[in-house]
Amino acid sequence: MYGTLDISTSGLIAQRVRLTSISGNIANRSTLVNASGELEPYRARRVVFAPGDPSARTRDGKTLGVHVAQIELDQSPFNLTYDPGNALAYKRGPYKDHVPSPNVNVVVEQMNAFDAARAYEANIAAAETTKTMMNQALRLLA
Amino acid sequence: MISELANAGAMPSLELTLRFAAQRQRILAHNIANVNTPNFRPLDVSVTGFQRELREAIEQRRARSGGEQGRLELRQTQELRTDGGGLTLNPTTPADNILFHDRNNRDLERMMQDLAENAMAFRVASDLLKSRQELLRTAISQRV
Repeated sequence: MYGTLDISTSGLIAQRVRLTSISGNIANRSTLVNASGELEPYRARRVVFAPGDPSARTRDGKTLGVHVAQIELDQSPFNLTYDPGNALAYKRGPYKDHVPSPNVNVVVEQMNAFDAARAYEANIAAAETTKTMMNQALRLLA
Repeated sequence: MISELANAGAMPSLELTLRFAAQRQRILAHNIANVNTPNFRPLDVSVTGFQRELREAIEQRRARSGGEQGRLELRQTQELRTDGGGLTLNPTTPADNILFHDRNNRDLERMMQDLAENAMAFRVASDLLKSRQELLRTAISQRV
């Protein structure tokens, strides 16, 4: 029964990582330059889950639960704003005089955050049920 | 002597129900943990299938010993496997639901319903087992 709590905990951890990436996306929705000051608009991060935990030692641990398989960069195009006077605007090409800005859609991020919070709650409910069952099983001994 | 006491009456079937519910809880928790996993299809074990096998085992015990004594021998099926007194579940029953765009056919409401039902089944079995144990304890301590 103890392994059952690990499964729900892996779900909680995965959803928390997802919420963290969503917070990062929203925080960086206006980030245009990278750490060295060059034009590099922020790309939204997308967390991808996969079942099981490859770092577990037991067979059940490898197949049950969930883990973050990778954090992908969203390859959708940047938003473009026409702003000829801006120093960061494209100097040539089809998007001349446009300033690229991060491909973060706050509405999408908000919906993802709701979804992650609901999934987190579902895992909490599963963990609570497991805890109740464990208590009942232990009460058989007393 | 002790094993005869533990194998009397409803206790073996209650024990199997407890084992089944505890093992199924893992599967349900796994399905809930993977509610946002792309390409994941939630699988479950058939509860009616388990109940059918349990009824078969009880009928067999009745035919074998004529009474209420003895172990219950569950038949090995694709989903239920008994080895060394334990019960291993191999979920193969898929859930029927529409496929979402991430190729996951989750059904959160059904999952939570299964979770609640499973917890209830566990509770009933553990309460009944506890009352059987208390009956035994009363008999052993020769109290009324």
